[in-house]
Amino acid sequence: MPAYFLEIAIVLLGLGLLMVDAFATTLDRRLLGHLGIAGVAAVLAGLVFGVDSSASEPLWGFYATDTAALFYKGLALVCTLLVLVLALEYAPVLESYRDGRPGRRGLGEFLCLPLFLCAGLMWMASMTDLLGLFVALETVTITFYVVVAYMRRNLGSLEAGVKYLILGALSTGFLLYGLAWLFGLTGQTNLAAIQTVLVDWKGDTTPLLFTMALLMVGLSFKVGAAPFQFWIPDVYQGAPTPITAFLSVGSKAAGFIVLIRLLEPLLASPIRHAVLLMLGVLAGATLIVGNLAAISQSNFKRLLAYSSIAHAGFLLMALAAGQPAGGVSPNGVVALYLGTYLVMTMLAFAVLVIVRKAGGSDELTAFNGLSQRSPFLAFALVLAMASLAGVPLTAGFFGKFFSLVLIAGAGQWALLTVAVVAAACGFYYYFKVIRCMYWNDPVSEAPPLVFSQLTRVAIILLCVAVVVLGVYPKPLTCLLAP
Amino acid sequence: MAEIDNYHAVLLQLLLVIGLAATMLGLSVLVGRAGRRNAIKDSAYECGMLPIGDSQPRFSVKFYLVAMLFVLFDIEVVFMYPWAVVFRDLVAQNAMVFWGMLSFVGILTVAYVYALKKGALRWDN
Amino acid sequence: MTALLPATILFLPLLAAAKILLLPKPMKGLAPAVSVGSVVLTLILSLVLWAKTGSDSTTVTLGSWINLGDMLQLNIGFKINALATGMMLVVTFIGTLVHLFSLAYMKDDDGKARYFAGLSLFMFSMTGIVLADNLAMMFIFWELVGVSSYLLIGHWFEKNSAAEAAKKAFLTNRIGDFGFMIGILMLWKATGSVTFDGIESAVRGMTVDPGWLTAAILCIFCGAVGKSAQLPLHVWLPDAMEGPTPVSALIHAATMVAAGVYMMIRVSFLLALPDAATAAHVIAWTGGLTALFAALCATQQNDIKKILAYSTLSQLGYMVMAVGLLAKEAAFFHLFTHAFFKALLFLGSGAIIYACHHEQDIWKMGGLARKLPRTTLTFLIGTAALIAVPFVTSGWYSKETILHAAHAHGGLLFYIGAGTAFLTAFYMTRLCVVAFLGTPRAHGADHAHEVPKIMLLPLVILAVPSVIGGFSFFAGRFLTLPPADHDHASHVPMIASLIALASGVSLGWLLYRGRDRDPVRISLLARKFFIDELYASLVSWGQDAVARIIHYVDILIIDGLGVRGLSGLAAVVGGGLRRLQGGNLQAYGFLFGCGVVVLLFIALSLH
Repeated sequence: MPAYFLEIAIVLLGLGLLMVDAFATTLDRRLLGHLGIAGVAAVLAGLVFGVDSSASEPLWGFYATDTAALFYKGLALVCTLLVLVLALEYAPVLESYRDGRPGRRGLGEFLCLPLFLCAGLMWMASMTDLLGLFVALETVTITFYVVVAYMRRNLGSLEAGVKYLILGALSTGFLLYGLAWLFGLTGQTNLAAIQTVLVDWKGDTTPLLFTMALLMVGLSFKVGAAPFQFWIPDVYQGAPTPITAFLSVGSKAAGFIVLIRLLEPLLASPIRHAVLLMLGVLAGATLIVGNLAAISQSNFKRLLAYSSIAHAGFLLMALAAGQPAGGVSPNGVVALYLGTYLVMTMLAFAVLVIVRKAGGSDELTAFNGLSQRSPFLAFALVLAMASLAGVPLTAGFFGKFFSLVLIAGAGQWALLTVAVVAAACGFYYYFKVIRCMYWNDPVSEAPPLVFSQLTRVAIILLCVAVVVLGVYPKPLTCLLAP
Repeated sequence: MAEIDNYHAVLLQLLLVIGLAATMLGLSVLVGRAGRRNAIKDSAYECGMLPIGDSQPRFSVKFYLVAMLFVLFDIEVVFMYPWAVVFRDLVAQNAMVFWGMLSFVGILTVAYVYALKKGALRWDN
Repeated sequence: MTALLPATILFLPLLAAAKILLLPKPMKGLAPAVSVGSVVLTLILSLVLWAKTGSDSTTVTLGSWINLGDMLQLNIGFKINALATGMMLVVTFIGTLVHLFSLAYMKDDDGKARYFAGLSLFMFSMTGIVLADNLAMMFIFWELVGVSSYLLIGHWFEKNSAAEAAKKAFLTNRIGDFGFMIGILMLWKATGSVTFDGIESAVRGMTVDPGWLTAAILCIFCGAVGKSAQLPLHVWLPDAMEGPTPVSALIHAATMVAAGVYMMIRVSFLLALPDAATAAHVIAWTGGLTALFAALCATQQNDIKKILAYSTLSQLGYMVMAVGLLAKEAAFFHLFTHAFFKALLFLGSGAIIYACHHEQDIWKMGGLARKLPRTTLTFLIGTAALIAVPFVTSGWYSKETILHAAHAHGGLLFYIGAGTAFLTAFYMTRLCVVAFLGTPRAHGADHAHEVPKIMLLPLVILAVPSVIGGFSFFAGRFLTLPPADHDHASHVPMIASLIALASGVSLGWLLYRGRDRDPVRISLLARKFFIDELYASLVSWGQDAVARIIHYVDILIIDGLGVRGLSGLAAVVGGGLRRLQGGNLQAYGFLFGCGVVVLLFIALSLH
């Protein structure tokens, strides 16, 4: 089956569930979530087993089905699956911030919207045309505006929504302006055609540089790179936690696949060195800001937000290397990094959702003595934190290791130094969480931590994935070949 | 040099505009000083309605809902125009263009049904 | 051969452990059955593997593990030769008996499922060490063995001493493992490979810098020092006796502690290099000194398990010494026989402790020969093997080969070995005389009665190889025996060990026959040369120093430069980092604009 059937299936699934939500008024909305999970899992199986990547030519070169596209589609699907699980777990908190009769507080839509996000992310992974790319990007962004502000009676959520909307629109403007320049300079909307024009670019490079800067502004915002990272802590903190997880993983992954696709023609053009230098500057700034600011955080969600900025720094650094080294390619490292990042970040957010539901707080103090309240969750969070910090034999190690290998191979020693210092800082603030769980005593009237069997299975699978990918990264290293 | 000459007219225009604005402002200050100021004279509308109450009256949220739905469906219909223009040429090559629009309209229909069922167009509730 | 068979042997225990952990609460009673089933099956499969391998040496690959192009390629592979299959048989055979013994010993324990899951996890990790064809894989299983050992020592974690002992074992091993890891990295740097075959062909084909090679070997040896509890990292093993006794038998006597020796035998081709003579020398002396030191300590212990623990240390010292003397066959031979009789002694002591209502002090036993005749008999067989009663016990043959090697090497090491043999005979006689003869000195021993059959069965089974394990018709099937050189063999070692045996036994008999309390008190030996106290003060002093340094690092660098320095910097730029992130949308918009300007400026200045 052609790959674009997958997106169609996801959209149909989403529409179908919306219809169910509209007509079946007495139904328990959680059923929609379970149906969604089953549907996404079926599509994921279709992606793994049933895709014929050669059968997509009727789409006029809009749509690529290379390995990267399929991998990012898989990433989007897995991410959506986990977000739906978390959303079911988070439902009581969500409903407490909405009004209406119990059971009619918009949970149905909240469970359907991730599916449309997923479809947008999957399109983004495949788009090789400026128009398609932009439409897919906006599908994702606009849906995010809605779900970020979903908890209508929570000021934080509303504030996050407004900030995301205004700053997002600003960045989209820059991106669109950049795309317009790209079209203006080359007269093409297809990226392959743009590349053939840019390879032979003989004229002044100033307009190219200008275009590149505009694109970088727009995409830096999407991936959360400094100096356009300001929205991240506030929006992450305010948004419903499952959506924060989605933003942190899905949105970032989509930003990077777009960045990779848009940079490809520019890297083949005469301004290659300028692109790499710009990426290096962004990476360095992002690493410094993300890691140093994370040190003093006392809110777990903000900590994860800064951690997400810091990881964007490592990802940009891999791209800034520009050339393969030690048998690994920058694009491959980004894919591997995002794959492992998904696993460990989702694990951290899963624990956060449960703790938040029980304790009503995202602060680090809510994690005090978690090892006594639930050794299982504490252990899972230890794994997640160790992996995020990049401890060897956890999934997070290889991404960091390979980006360092790449940057060392490119001989960019200044950036390498910054990255090593940043990684060391990471240990400090990730282990602060572990200290809270194991050394501090829980507050005396700490409520019990309850969570569904589905969530338990998801957490166990994620833990296993963190360890297995740390010991046996083979399933992902096949992406690395230059 | 010849290129610069073309801009003389622009410079003249600029001077004229600034001069005019400055003159008007200056005159208003000079002439206006003749009378005495009081609260009523300084208020925004010396004649007409009295400025009482909130300057931004609140409308029911239903107005916005309906307006938004109108804009959405209206814009989406706009997409059909370019499609209609090229439809005849493209459908000769491939039926994809037909199915594409059909799915577009299909999604619109679902959205319409959804809006109806959720009571977005029901005024009396 | 395909990789299927070794892979099955490897993963079967892991499956068992996973299955036990996933069993729902009411079905936890099935845990022992699952665990015992898996170990019996691995024993059978190990026999098949042994039969199929014979004297071949093959490396089979299950699949690629890490593939980093030209930088590093690692496979999940198994290097199967007579050494590996022999070790597998030891591990699975003793493992099976210990599982059986545990069925009775842990019958009333609440944490039975946890215990058997730990045992299965241990079998998995130990199998990994034995079969691994590269050092990286071995290292991972090495650490896993450490983890399972930690879990099992701390099985009764409500008891403070058990939790402390588990922690001590884990941390002490970490020190050795750190060296091991450095050693692996050094070898990788020198040879570009971490597989045994790759390293071997690399060092054959080129010369490695002698200093580098010596350092690498000694670093690797650090791992063995930790795991096989050699001086100076021996402190954890006696404390590890806090764990359940079957665990002590399996892990801390027969198999895991032998892993260090096994690993050194695996890489013994490095020691045979002419440049590695210094390293070999250091290894031999470490082993010799540990043997002597531990035997001295054992003479003054009162806890039956502690005596056996020090005797284990001492015997491991013999093996390490043999490795250092380039007599790897002798080392493995002794490892082989020692595994049987030491497991027998430990299980025997477990039976005694069980029978005496968990009494471990030998001075509170006495007269047990009459109360537990069968247990006593098997224990005496084990003792005979340990003190190397000539010709009829396995220990005699294997210890002889080591003493021969030491004698052939010449120098002081031979006398150390012989002295250790004397001390061994002495302290074991002391143990047997005090515990089995005389009259019961406490309530527990007075009411002791023979242990259940399922506990006795492993003892009887183990007594057989303790006797015949050294005979060449038996041992020769499972391992390569040291080349016997009858014509030129000196008789000095044999005479020396006969004298040592005779004098040790008679001295023990004379001193301890009919005593109710220890006539000799040498507190230096009883307190184990005060090494624990020395370490404790060193560690606390060092910890204080490090803590003070870290405190200053925290204040000066993290707080000063990192947090305050940065916010100070940001204060200069525009009101502090926190103020930048003040949550004000207008400010964000302004900063966004600044960012755009900066980016455009950079881009256009690159023109």
